[in-house]
Parts: sequence; structure tokens; C-alpha cells
Amino acid sequence: MEEWKPNPAVKPHKKRSWYLAWKYKLMNQRALRKLCQTGAVLFLLVTVIVNIKLILDTRRAAYEEEEESAQDYDDEMLNVEVPRHPVNNKKVLDVEVYSSRSKVYVAVDGTTVLEDEAREQGRGIHVIVLNQATGHVMAKRVFDTYSPHEDEAMVLFLNMVARGRILIFTIKDEGSFHLKETAKNVLKSLGSQVAPFLSWRDMWTFVGKKGGEVYGEKHAKSPALSTWGDPVLLKTEVHLTSVEDAECHWPDTELNRRRKRFCSKVEGYGSVCSCKDPTPIEFNPDPLKDNKVFDVPVAVIAGNRPNYLYRMLRSLLSAQGVNPQMITVFIDGYYEEPMDVVELFGLSGIQHTPISIKNARVSQHYKASLTATFNLFPDAKFAVVLEEDLDISVDFFSFLSQSIHLLEEDESLYCISAWNDQGYEHTAEDPSLLYRVETMPGLGWVLRKSLYKDELEPKWPTPEKLWDWDMWMRMPEQRKGRECIIPDISRSYHFGIVGLNMNGYFHVSDLPPGPGLLLSSDSDTSTSSGGVPSHSLFHFHSEAEVLDHSKNPCEDSFVPDTEGKVYVMFIRMEQEADFTTWTQLAKCLHIWDLDVRGNHKGLWRLFRKKNHFLVVGVPASPYSSKKPLSVTPIYMEPPAKEEGAVAVPAVAAAAEQT
Amino acid sequence: MQKINRNVVLALLSLTSLVFLLFQLCYYKFYLSQKNGAAFSKGRGSHSGQDSTRWHVVRKFLGLISSHNIPVYLIDPLILGLVDKDIEQIRSSPDGPSPECKYFCAPRDFTTFALLDKTWKHDAGLFRTAEKMGFQWLKIINKDPRLDGMDDLSGMEIPLHYIFKLASHAIHLVVFYERSGNFLWHGPLRLKQHMDRKFVPFRKLHFGRYPGAYEKPELLLVSIDDLKVQIPKNPSSFLEEMSHSRFLECRYREARAFFQLYPDDASLDAVEFRKKAKSLLHLAALTLNNLGVKFWLSSGTCLGWFRQCNVIPHSKDVDLGIFIRDYKADIIPAFQKAGLPLKHKFGKVEDSLELSFQGEGDVKLDIFFFYEEDDHIWNGGTQAKSGKKFKYLFPKFTLCWTEFVELKVHVPCETLQYVEANYGPEWKVPVKAWDWKSSPFNVQDNGIWPIDEWDNVIQIY
Repeated sequence: MEEWKPNPAVKPHKKRSWYLAWKYKLMNQRALRKLCQTGAVLFLLVTVIVNIKLILDTRRAAYEEEEESAQDYDDEMLNVEVPRHPVNNKKVLDVEVYSSRSKVYVAVDGTTVLEDEAREQGRGIHVIVLNQATGHVMAKRVFDTYSPHEDEAMVLFLNMVARGRILIFTIKDEGSFHLKETAKNVLKSLGSQVAPFLSWRDMWTFVGKKGGEVYGEKHAKSPALSTWGDPVLLKTEVHLTSVEDAECHWPDTELNRRRKRFCSKVEGYGSVCSCKDPTPIEFNPDPLKDNKVFDVPVAVIAGNRPNYLYRMLRSLLSAQGVNPQMITVFIDGYYEEPMDVVELFGLSGIQHTPISIKNARVSQHYKASLTATFNLFPDAKFAVVLEEDLDISVDFFSFLSQSIHLLEEDESLYCISAWNDQGYEHTAEDPSLLYRVETMPGLGWVLRKSLYKDELEPKWPTPEKLWDWDMWMRMPEQRKGRECIIPDISRSYHFGIVGLNMNGYFHVSDLPPGPGLLLSSDSDTSTSSGGVPSHSLFHFHSEAEVLDHSKNPCEDSFVPDTEGKVYVMFIRMEQEADFTTWTQLAKCLHIWDLDVRGNHKGLWRLFRKKNHFLVVGVPASPYSSKKPLSVTPIYMEPPAKEEGAVAVPAVAAAAEQT
Repeated sequence: MQKINRNVVLALLSLTSLVFLLFQLCYYKFYLSQKNGAAFSKGRGSHSGQDSTRWHVVRKFLGLISSHNIPVYLIDPLILGLVDKDIEQIRSSPDGPSPECKYFCAPRDFTTFALLDKTWKHDAGLFRTAEKMGFQWLKIINKDPRLDGMDDLSGMEIPLHYIFKLASHAIHLVVFYERSGNFLWHGPLRLKQHMDRKFVPFRKLHFGRYPGAYEKPELLLVSIDDLKVQIPKNPSSFLEEMSHSRFLECRYREARAFFQLYPDDASLDAVEFRKKAKSLLHLAALTLNNLGVKFWLSSGTCLGWFRQCNVIPHSKDVDLGIFIRDYKADIIPAFQKAGLPLKHKFGKVEDSLELSFQGEGDVKLDIFFFYEEDDHIWNGGTQAKSGKKFKYLFPKFTLCWTEFVELKVHVPCETLQYVEANYGPEWKVPVKAWDWKSSPFNVQDNGIWPIDEWDNVIQIY
């Protein structure tokens, strides 16, 4: 109201009371008119001001809001959203299956899910498992049923596949030669009419639901022994079921959620996906008392062998004292299935873009994995390195927990390894015994961070050098005379046979499985008290009895039928690298003879007939001084003819074996 | 007639504007109330009802966390600021009931807690319980920087931030990771496309604009406002640390591209030099940190970090920068004690100071002192035989943390400008023949030391 005062129109009445002024204004038409006009103008003015304020306010609010939408916080990278697969409402899948001598392929709804036209590869029966609700490929296998025993593997696999899954079969080249009755019956039970009569070089395709209907089957008979059947192309439709029907109804827990995710994606892992009574995926092994390796990261180096990885992780997670949070699985390549396995167990996995080829690829993968391990666990002083094709014993961590202090204290140690190259069932006996060896066995070993960071990482072989990482690590330039600690009884067991570095033939036929799995868990108490062969502690067994050197050391009678004694024999070993006699001896003892392993200063220690058995190389070994003068070291000549024939492949194989 | 018309027009106008005004007022009110209704009052004008909301939300959150055995600690700067004032009293009476709600009742949108990643198991059950308790939650994940430097490793993305929202209050949980170099790191908060940008007013968060680097804090369990929480043992030093915690990740991708162009030197000499430079840098960092002297990677060492995330193998020394205001006379004896004898000392504290220490095996540690002017920063150089002075000019910069050869060190935040000032626009091309007097892009002649000062400003050992 005060604004009225400066108004010249009402100036004369300034001093009157408001009431009177109003009265006066009423009487005075002109003044009233003027007053109204002024009032209206003022009102308009106020409106304008309020308007402006409102606009300003709104703008500010809008601006603030915009700010709050936090452009600052937007991910800089334009995340190109992977287009989600449109919800598949389609109820029918078109499936095309082709079988011929040189090529097979399977297409589901126009997408090729299998194509194999490589020469000399992929012979046999290809099997694809599809999810009956989504149509996703859950497993792809090829069984070379031209060769023996592959049909058994196929039967095993088919039996593991859950009921209701869609199975697609197609033959490449030849698939019937070793397809036995049992396998044929299984195929027949799946609904195949042709399978029982499949014969040499027939072409065959089949699509059916396990335990249900048959969607199609085509077959082309081979007209003669020397020719193949005509290529067959089967086109058929598969009716999808609802998701609920394709899943098991496990109780809704975190674990089962993981299980469900896994089981709807992949097949071939047996009872882990069984609806009734599935195998556990959490193991809760007993914790270790005073576990010194609880905080040591475990790097599992893996390729694309998800079934192996599954087996490996099961054994790892069942070991006493395992700490799942410290486990990282490094997968060489963008393979989905190994990652699915890792996620099933709730572990963390890292995929690695393959660099280089063959051995160099493995070597680069190792480097990346080890570097990443120490990055992820910057506090760690050690890392446990495992591979996907190892089983580890229940007391693996107990073994490490009790021996890791050696690596910490003793600079002359290169590693602790869970594997004894000479630890066969007939040569390993004492779960509490550790050895010190000049070789590096690998297969489950502990790496010191300082060794890796200061020495190995900076000069790790570059991708263009096609070296084996482990051969490189064993080179004198790297090892620098340092030694490894190994147990008498191995704590790991190498079950893999299709890996790059394992020659299946040697493994299967020549080597009985190591005794790693025979361990009793009570060994953990005794390891620390057992002979720890560090330099200071290691003393030559003076109580050892010298064996009768006139006998043939290959004969069983060479070692008396006693138990728990210590025997020593002396062999000829002219200089440090002279392993002629040792190699022959190793051969007849049926232990590792393809290269020299498990030695320490010209001494080998193993068990024979439950007696500790020492072999000393004279005169190269410093222990030669313990040889009684009367004893002549045994010399065994390599068989003249065989040498050429055996030595060459032996060296090659040795280079391949890790 | 005219006058009446004018009156009518005015009256009409007034009426319309009145209606308009009313409409606008209504709209304004509606608009504001809608904003407030979105569970987030802007904190403007405190509502008495909100006070206890915050306290209740925090209490619920702490209950949730402890039921899953997850150790979190309070890092909310506003509360820690208040706590710091009463720290003695809080320390001495850890259990006493508090008479009034002093800390958790100030109306705020957020309370910030920290979580050490390795102390929990990423248990999804936490979130289900949280939902049952009425929390809405948001998880911000991103790439794992610890794998970023690696050739093409792709791990799972890691959670960097969690936000738990209940009623009008939100808990911001910052996840800290241990990094090589013995420090804790938290990531930036970046929203992905599909995320709800309005979940909370992200701008107001105290953490997440930049990644940050922190020392591992010692914790203290206290009871404030009848809530038991862990706080950093020394809140004021935590707050100090927070104020300049910004962390820069090395530019690994660019470094890889650099190595594509100029393959890395993997010769034995290079390996050896890198090893020595790394241990020299570790020793220098230890010595200076013990003295409390702030330093950063300078010159060639900084270039090495910026360009290739590693020590440049053909550089012959390690270069550090220190602001002259941080100079301490103890620096020289401290280095000598650490086994690094002084090699030369050029200049004086007032002008162009430069120290050089002899590290193991011919590797030299150069420390340049930087002088701040109004619009630039400079350091000096001295040629021993001629007494000539040089000046190297840099644009102003601030310091950020980074990780370098397993060490948490400072680098200029404006690294590109710094490196470009020093090495010119061609800094990406390796130069092996380097003359400190003429090669730098930013070198200027700065006269000559008066002869009578030479004994003092040119000391060679």
C-alpha cells in the first residue's frame, strides 16, 4: 500500500486517514478513476514481476535438475548396449542338419551353430544339445566313434544329458567302425530307427528329444566299402516348450540360482543339474588351523576345457583350508563355457584375449595371469599356480601352509611344488617327507612375488618367441641354481591328457597315476616334523645300509624284503650331467626316465618296497665320499640299438611333458 | 469515452493477469511439491520431521550391514567434521548414551560409508535383505583398473559404489580396493545409459566425481548418537587426505598404442635400469614420505608414466619435483642416511634450487624445486662449468595421485599440459639424445650466477 504514497495523484490527501481518503475518493469520481487506473497499472506491474521471478525460478529449478541428472557422472564411454535378444515368443525352431564325408553343419533358425569342414579333423559323430525352451546350444561334442572307446564316452555323455533336451546328431566321414551295440542301443532308445543298422561310411543325421519325440532322421547308405554315402541334409522343425518345463524346481537359494543359470546354459556336467538330489556346488571343507596360505592368491590357468575345469575346481574347493575369495580363474580366450563353470562355483574369472600362437600363447597367458594375480592381491607375497587339468589332494593347502615358510626364509629356493616327478605308487611312501630337488616340477606350485616381479616378469619371453614358459623358467639363466621343495607323495595329480603339452600316449600307457590321491589327511600333522631338506637340515643318512652291488639293481631282490630301512646304492656318474646309468636304472624301476628329474647334488631319493632308497652318482655327487672303498659304482650301459630309436622321441616327449 | 475505454481495458488486463498469476502460483506450488514428493527434499529449509529419518535410516543400514558381517566405516565428511571437534570426548566415552542427536540428525540427503572390498564376500543375500527392509539400492560397476594395465584381460566388472535409499535418505557406500603400492582406491561414479539418473541427486555426493587414493586407515569403533560405527581413527587427517585424494589412472590404452609404434626395449640393460630406477624411486618415496615432503614425478619420469606407464629405459635418472615451500633442510641428511650420497647441489633455496643424489649403479636421483608465480610455476637449472642459469616454465598445476611401479605417487593433474610444456607437442616421439640445456621446450636463459656466489650455488661432490 505504501507504493501509493509517492503517487502524485493522491499527494494532497497524504496526511488524511485512510478511511477519509477512501471516502473522499468515492466522492470524487475523477480521483477514483485515476486511482483505479493507477491501481491497475501497479497490479500489472506486480504481475510482471511475479512472472519474471517465476520464470527465473522455474529455469533455475530446471537447470538444477538437469545438473542433478549428473552429466558429470555419465559414463564417458558410449556404452553401446548389446541388443538384447528379443524375447523369443516363437514356438518353433527350424533345424538344418547336414552330414557328409568332408563337412558337417547344423543350423538352428538360420544361425549356424556347428560347421566343420576341416580336413583330417572332426571325424565321427557330432552331437549338439539344445535347450528345449530357448533353443540355445548347451553342449557340442564330437565322438570319434571310428576309434575304440569313443562310443563309451558318447554313451556316458548322452546319459548325463537331462531329459527333455533336444539332441542333434550328424556324422562326418566315418562314425560306425567302433560304434558298439551298447551305444547303438542308446541311440535307438532315443528314437533313432537307423542307428542299430549304421554301417561303414554311412551318412546319418538325427534330431530328437531325449525321452520324447523324434523330429527327423535321414540316412544315406554307403554303396561300397571304398565310397561314402551321399551327403544328407535334414530339415525339420522343433517345438519349444515353456521355460518352466525346462527347469528344475530347486529351492530358491543363492546357490541354486547359480545352479539354475548354469544348468539352463550348458549340458554334460552330470548330476550337478539333476532335478532330484543335485550334487553340491559348495563344499565347506574343514578349515585349517593356523593356515599360513589363507591369504595367498590362487591362480587357476585355464583354456577351453570346461569339463576339466569343473573337475579341477571341485577338487580345489574341497581341499581343506581353501579360501574361495583368493581364487581367480584365468581363461585363455573368450570362451563362454569355462566362464559358466567359474560362475557356477561363485568364483571370479578373467578372460584373456589370446596373444600369439601355440606355446607362446600359453606363455603369454601365464604372464598375464601372474601379473594380474599380483595386481589383484597387492599384499600377497606368494601365489599358488594351478592348471585346469589338475586334481589336488585334500591336504594340498595343509602341505603348503607348512612349507611356505621355507620359501620365505630361504633365498636359494625357487619354488614349492606339489608334484613329485618320481612319486609313483611303488616309489613314494612318506606323506611327511619333503625333498629338495634341482628341477622344477610345476603342476601346482608356489611362486614368490619378488621372484616374479624382479626377475621373471621383466624378461618374460615376448610373444614372438615360441617358447614354453616352463622350459624357460627351468633354464639356468632364470633358475640360477635355485631349487624347489617337493613332497615325497605328490599333492597334485595331472589328469589332463588332451592339453597341448601332454603326450597322451606316454601318460596313459607308461605312467601309472601318481599317488596324489592316496593321501591320508593325517599327514598334515607330521609334515612339519618330517625331514625338511633345507641345506642345513639335510644330512646324508649315515645309518643307510649299502646294498649288495654285485646284484642287478633292476631285480626285485636287489632290495631286501624289509620295511622302513634306508638303503643306498652307488652308480657311476662321471660329471654333473652324466645321467647314463641313472636313465637305465630309472627305466627298469619304471619311473620317469625321459629326462632327469628329482635329483639333488647327484642324489636321488625314493622308496622301494617301503624302504627308503638312495641313489648316489659317483664321483659327481658330493655324497660320493660316503661310498665304502670296496664298493664299485654300478654302471649300466644303454641298450646300443634302442638308444637311437628311443632317445630321439624321448627327448621330444620330454620337451612336451610338463 | 476514451477514458472509459482505457478503464475497461485496464480492468480487463488486470483480471487476466490476476487469473494468470493465480494459475502460475498454483503451477509453481504443484511443481515444487512434486519435486519434494520424489522422496528427496532438497534440504532447503529443514523440516523437523526429517531429522530422525536420517538417524533411523542409518541405524537400519548399520543393522543390515552387521547382520551380514560386513565391516563398513563412516567417511561422511560432514559428520566426520563434527566428530572431529568432539573427538577427545568421543574417544574417552565410547559407550555413553548421548543426550542429544548431534551428528546423524542434521538433515542431509546422504550419509557416506566405506567398505573394503576384500573384507566381504559379494554376498547377494545382502541385497535381498536390504529390499526386504525397504531399501531401494543401486549398484555402480565398472572395469577393474587393476587389470586395465594388462594386455587385454577382461575380468568381471567390479562394484565401485552402492547407494541404498530409504524414504528421504540415502546411504552412499563407497567400495575401496587395495592397489599395488599399498594404498586404497575408490572408483569414479559413472552412470551407465540405462541407469536412473534421478535415483538420488548424484551431484551432491561427496565421493565419486573422481577416483581417489587413500592410505589404509586405522579404524576406531565409537558410539555416536547411540549408534555404533567405525570411523577413521584420526578424522581430521582423513578429511585432509580427502581434500586432495584425486587419483589419475595411467593411460594404459595410449601406452599400448605407443608400444605398438615403438616396441619396448626388452634388453638386459633396459631390464636392469628399470629395476634400479624402480628401487631408487621406492627409496626416494619412502625417504620423502617419512619427512612429510610432498613430491611428484617430474621430467623424464613423468613422461615415462604419462606416455608408456613405465620407466623410460634410455633415461638415465629419476626426476622428482618438490614445491620450494615444502623444502626442508632435513632432505639432504635424510637421503644420505638412506644410502644416497649428495652428488651435486645447484642454486639456493631462494632461487633455482636443484639437488642430485647418487643412487645404486649409476642411476641418479634429481630433485627439482619449483617456484610458484602468479601465472606460472618454474624450476631452475645450472650449468656447473659456466655458472649459467636456466629456467623451465610450466603452467600452473595441481597434484593428483597415481600408481607407478607399484608405488602411490603424485603427478601433476594437468599432466598433458605439464608434459607438453616440458617436451613440446612432439612428446609422443621418443628422443634418445637429450640435452637438458637446449632440448626442453620450455627452457629459458636466466642469466649467470654472480661469481662470488659460485661456491654456494654450485656444489659438486
